[in-house]
Amino acid sequence: MTRRFSFSQFVLLVAALVLAVLWLAPIAWAVATSLKPESETTKLPLEWFGSRITFESYELVLGTGGIVKWAVNSTVTAVVVTFMTVLFSAMAAYGFARTQFKGQRVLLGIILAGIMVPPQVLIAPLFAEMVAFGLVDTWWAIILPQVAAPLIVYILVKFFQDVPEELEQAAFVDGAGRWRVFFTIVLPLSRPVLAAVSIFTFINTWNNFLWPFLVSTDPNTMTLPVGLANVVQGTFGLRYAQIMASVVLAGLPLLVVFVLFQRQIIRGVAHTGLAGQ
Amino acid sequence: MTATVAPPASAVAAVKSKVRRGWTEHGLLFVAPFLLIYTIFLIWPTLLGFKMSMSSVNVAGTNDHFIGFANYAEAFADPRMWRSLWNTLVFTVLSTIPLVLLGLALALLAHHLRFMQWLWRLSFFGPFLLPSAVVSILWLQMIYPPEYGLINGTLGIDIVWLGDPSMAMWSVVLTTVWWTVGFNFLLYLAALQSIPQHLYEAASIDGADAWDKLRSITLPLLRRTTALIVVLQLVASLKVFDQIYLMTGGGPEDATRSIIEYAYDIGFTGYRTGYASAVSYILFVIIVIVSLVQLRLFRKREEAAS
Amino acid sequence: MHGPPDINRRHLLGGGLALVAAAASGCALPVGFGSSQTRIRYWHFLGASDGITMNGMVRAFGKEHPDIFVEENVLQWGEPYYTKIAMAGAGGRSPDLATFHLSRLAGIGAGRILDPINLDLLAEVGLKAADFSPPIWQRAHLDGVLYAIPLDAHPMVLYYNTDICEKAGLLGEDGKLRPTTGVDELIAALTKAKEAMGGKPPLTMDALGLGTVGPWRVWWTLYSQSGGALLTPDNTAIAIDDAKALDALRLMQRLGTEGLCDPRTDYGASVAKFTNGEAAFLWNGDWETTGLKERGTPFSMTRFPNVFGTGAAQADCHAFVLPHQRSRDPEIERATYRFIAYLVKNSADWAVAGHVPAYLPALEEPDYLALHPQSEYRSVITEVALDPQVWFTGSASRLWIEFGGAFSPVLSGERSPEDGLAAAKAALDRLMTAPNPFPAEERS
Repeated sequence: MTRRFSFSQFVLLVAALVLAVLWLAPIAWAVATSLKPESETTKLPLEWFGSRITFESYELVLGTGGIVKWAVNSTVTAVVVTFMTVLFSAMAAYGFARTQFKGQRVLLGIILAGIMVPPQVLIAPLFAEMVAFGLVDTWWAIILPQVAAPLIVYILVKFFQDVPEELEQAAFVDGAGRWRVFFTIVLPLSRPVLAAVSIFTFINTWNNFLWPFLVSTDPNTMTLPVGLANVVQGTFGLRYAQIMASVVLAGLPLLVVFVLFQRQIIRGVAHTGLAGQ
Repeated sequence: MTATVAPPASAVAAVKSKVRRGWTEHGLLFVAPFLLIYTIFLIWPTLLGFKMSMSSVNVAGTNDHFIGFANYAEAFADPRMWRSLWNTLVFTVLSTIPLVLLGLALALLAHHLRFMQWLWRLSFFGPFLLPSAVVSILWLQMIYPPEYGLINGTLGIDIVWLGDPSMAMWSVVLTTVWWTVGFNFLLYLAALQSIPQHLYEAASIDGADAWDKLRSITLPLLRRTTALIVVLQLVASLKVFDQIYLMTGGGPEDATRSIIEYAYDIGFTGYRTGYASAVSYILFVIIVIVSLVQLRLFRKREEAAS
Repeated sequence: MHGPPDINRRHLLGGGLALVAAAASGCALPVGFGSSQTRIRYWHFLGASDGITMNGMVRAFGKEHPDIFVEENVLQWGEPYYTKIAMAGAGGRSPDLATFHLSRLAGIGAGRILDPINLDLLAEVGLKAADFSPPIWQRAHLDGVLYAIPLDAHPMVLYYNTDICEKAGLLGEDGKLRPTTGVDELIAALTKAKEAMGGKPPLTMDALGLGTVGPWRVWWTLYSQSGGALLTPDNTAIAIDDAKALDALRLMQRLGTEGLCDPRTDYGASVAKFTNGEAAFLWNGDWETTGLKERGTPFSMTRFPNVFGTGAAQADCHAFVLPHQRSRDPEIERATYRFIAYLVKNSADWAVAGHVPAYLPALEEPDYLALHPQSEYRSVITEVALDPQVWFTGSASRLWIEFGGAFSPVLSGERSPEDGLAAAKAALDRLMTAPNPFPAEERS
């Protein structure tokens, strides 16, 4: 392919730039609104900049404390879900791919069938279960159901089946037990796929709305998206600069992480997302 | 989907079994923690949901009486249930088409422009990383409002985006496309990058122009990716909830109410978790059927290919 | 064969375990941890102007009672709020105190979602039945059990822009809007205002949008003025008077289609328009007062115009309830009652937000009488049109949303008044036949 900058390249560039601007405009508008004085947010005709640039909405939003609290809740729940999901799924996948026991086939079948069960259709019984356990409004209620992710087991089973047997066998001959082999050989060998799966799980959990929204009614246990939907629109109703400041603060973390770790995130999302089928 | 997973070859197992093992080495122990959580939080609610769907239970767990299939009978006679199923289907069709085509177009653009990759990725994929609540509140509060919203305010038009029953679903679709097209963009981009360069070089020698190459090499080789994307999209669309709940609440006049949104409305806003379980179960059956059909299709295609 | 220990994995494991431990030890971040204050978790739905006033009262209470810390949480008003309250009550880790609309009491499953009010504790903090307006106090009971403590009544009112109205010659010599009676006078006043505004629609209201209830509020006001009822007195059958209902709807359509009211504004836009002086009149509940004052809109308020024979206006009442808890800490419970008593007895401060106090002694206080324009419409309190007390009515209830959705297109002319009424009746019919999730026989 020739590398010269042709006319058609120029047309493509213009098209891409126009689309990029269109795609970024809503985000830019949120930022612009959040930096205006409150009294100018609904002024017509629209202007991108107010009479002055002010951070008072951010001060107010951060001052009420909600956002910070929810960010902590989001971080803790997403980290714990990711950690538990990856650890337990990897263990289970190892058990299915590399050991043999009675009923293995049936169990694996049951777990893989679970891929077809969308968590969204389970909201009513899951909530009833949480009421019975007394877990409503706790972190555990947010965390545990999200760990039951059969898709991740499926991806890891497929991966572990391709890890060369010889590495394991050598360790067994050295007298190592299964657990040791799992933690010191299999897991380190699987680092790329574990990273991809972790990123995928983290992003999904961080952005998950429906389940945390149902099970955290107490603003002290809410995650960022839930707090945003439930509290911010109540507290700052009709105060658009403050709502947009909250939106920007809630959307920012993952975007910043994305700019820093573009390659890894793209791998994690694309590969894990595709592996599901 | 599950065809490629099989227990290990017996020859390998024979080697393994020579090593003496205590009970701590049992494979079931590796499976146990996941299995426990899976049983409590997936299998059990699936069964419990069926039981609840046969009862009049409310959100507080009281009024729990067995009523047989009365909830299902009510659901099949409930015009709002049918309306939400229909809306879900409409949403699926309306959103899948632009999501696939635009995803492909954006990926082709970014792929052919071999510079500023970070910009294209950030612009087109960035929104996908935003939580649904951020996206919905942003569009609801600052993009769609008829007076001071970004679209009407900039273009000087007067469209009631979310408030007009005939526009509302299109608006939900537009937001969804903006938000999630980046995922398909990424999948297409990855597929494009894996097409061997020499195919294009050979075509160039044969005198093919860019259009020919796109038609006879790129698009055919993307067919499998497209099939995957369509399937992912179908299943995701059937479960749509977040942006609809947050932007329109299912209105105006039920024009955007999806089936999950309806189940939420009945079960939690309306406190009737029993009836909500029945409606959920109807969707569950539909999703299982769709999944099984696509599983069959994919298996057939793979068999045909091999 | 064994590589060196994998530092990254160890780190991951260690960090993860630490977090698991943190999650296990406490279910959420402790607030006010280690202090000797009693913490009351208080939920309300009072946003915008109301929120500012309530926040001020919470802070004032905190200053007077340093031993109590009120953790205030503002949740989104409406359906989402009542969904959350029910789920929190079912879950049993609910807030210690929550605001509520009295009209929702019949539908919430009091007894399981809400705990009854402890009359002894109430007496201890000096509140008694005789202090409250009797019909409102009555509505705070279900099956003879007290579940709520009323705070206010908030009727539909008429906001008017004093500058525009003066220009249109609608103000009397005292600078107040001259009251109108009947359809013709109302239309005449609106037409004058329209001329003064260069032909722009003079009236604005919540006419459409996400869960819009404005069309219901206006219709229920107008319909009640002509003496119409929704249900038979025993709440078992529909009793809508078609002629009266259609009169109200025809008037609404006339306003929308003759350019007297912009039918394409949602709640936020209607308030924004009036705030910016782009509308002479706003039909709304009484709660935007503070926000309008803050932004310096030249305005005043008065009772909703008498159009169909009486001055009735749609209204509801804010109240306090105790969402169900698995176990209630007696110390927090006492503090909660003290806090309730403080808010109720200082209703005159609350009235700043626009609401009419339910606590009778507050109505006589000079502080309240001096409030303008808040005390201008206090006489409406004898003519409020409350919802029938059935399980599907009340603020942001199914009924409101169904009727709001049925009447919204009538305003804009997209649907005839007859079709709008038919849609509303069909919805009401569905609600009457739908099962009550909290049937009366399941209570107690």
